[in-house]
Amino acid sequence: MADAGMATRDLTGILAAIAQGDRSALRDLYAAEAARLFGVCLRILRDRAAAADATQDTFLRIWDRADRFDPARGAARAWLAAVARHVALDLARARGRELPSDDPDLGDVPVEDDPAALLDATADATRLRACLEILEEKNRRSILLAFVDGLSHAQIAARLETPLGTVKAWIRRGLASLKECLAS
Amino acid sequence: MIPTDPIERTTLAGEYVLGTLDARTAAAVRAAIETDMALRQEVEAWEHRLAPLADGIAPAEPPPDLLARIDAALDARAAAPRTVVPLARPSRAGLLWKGWAAGATALAAGLAAFLILRPAPEEPRYVAVLQQDRAAPAWVVEASPSRGIVLAGAVNPRPVDEGRVLQLWGLAPGATAPVSLGLVPPDGRLEVDPRVLPPQEGMLVEISLEPLGGSPIGRPTGPVLYIGRLARVD
Repeated sequence: MADAGMATRDLTGILAAIAQGDRSALRDLYAAEAARLFGVCLRILRDRAAAADATQDTFLRIWDRADRFDPARGAARAWLAAVARHVALDLARARGRELPSDDPDLGDVPVEDDPAALLDATADATRLRACLEILEEKNRRSILLAFVDGLSHAQIAARLETPLGTVKAWIRRGLASLKECLAS
Repeated sequence: MIPTDPIERTTLAGEYVLGTLDARTAAAVRAAIETDMALRQEVEAWEHRLAPLADGIAPAEPPPDLLARIDAALDARAAAPRTVVPLARPSRAGLLWKGWAAGATALAAGLAAFLILRPAPEEPRYVAVLQQDRAAPAWVVEASPSRGIVLAGAVNPRPVDEGRVLQLWGLAPGATAPVSLGLVPPDGRLEVDPRVLPPQEGMLVEISLEPLGGSPIGRPTGPVLYIGRLARVD
């Protein structure tokens, strides 16, 4: 049963309760995080029914794996989003990552233009934005299309009208520069 | 499959987190980070570096019935504990196997006779017991990345109805449609090429009752008689 204290528990506490098999804690987590995690899945899958399936699997996976979350190794928010992203990516792969069209009349949600513009004002986000900004545009755009929109190498290549091998190289170079910049 | 060069490992971890790897390579990384702690740290470092991007994605209102669906899925699991031998995750065993300990012990004892896979030493190995309830037969599944999924036979087997066959299926975590792994032969043993469906932790494996020749539509048409989930054996 949710008492007053439960509603205000932080995510780390909620995950600890879920790891103990507390179903009410899972509902608390749903209340706090479902819209955000559904948003992550929808952005990758661009289909509300598929995103709902992915969000359901995300919560089931959280239920199974909450005992693996270690607050010493990262924030709960990031862990939850990573679970949702990997579930959605697996589903996208199982669906063959067919290229959804960007035609809203066909029921697909268009890819938004520049997800980096959505970065919020936290310190980590500010650093990441600064490091993304110094990447070459093509490297930066490829990385964002992969991470935020869940596009495969082949989809990015099609979207940017560039050979597959070139896109892979852009992403690798972008990752290397990003790592170096964030470490400095 | 997992490189040894440090720069290539960092790149692979980054690509895994980005999500650009194909299903097979992604599954290999997922399996590797269970035992390769250095690679796991690389993956966690990338998750941390890129996490602010996920924060920037616009939230969206999920369908109103989604919480009820999640609750129902958990209720269904609790009602029919159809998971696995608790070898891999003793800390969770108490939750998953409440009221089922005696059966599990007997089953684990029976299981020893079936362990047939001899995978490469560094390779993860998975086991599942497929069943519906304690009185019915149980099937043993073993799997490893190199050998694929192996149906090792049934404990307490029962003849199949005349004119029907058993068909084996696998459903990867997050996948929406199961993949046919083949018809179960009379001796109850079936080896599935890993290219058909690379095994991974948490994969659902099930056996359905189908007309002769198997399901005509590529997914189960008859009742699912036995079901279980692959768990890692450490």
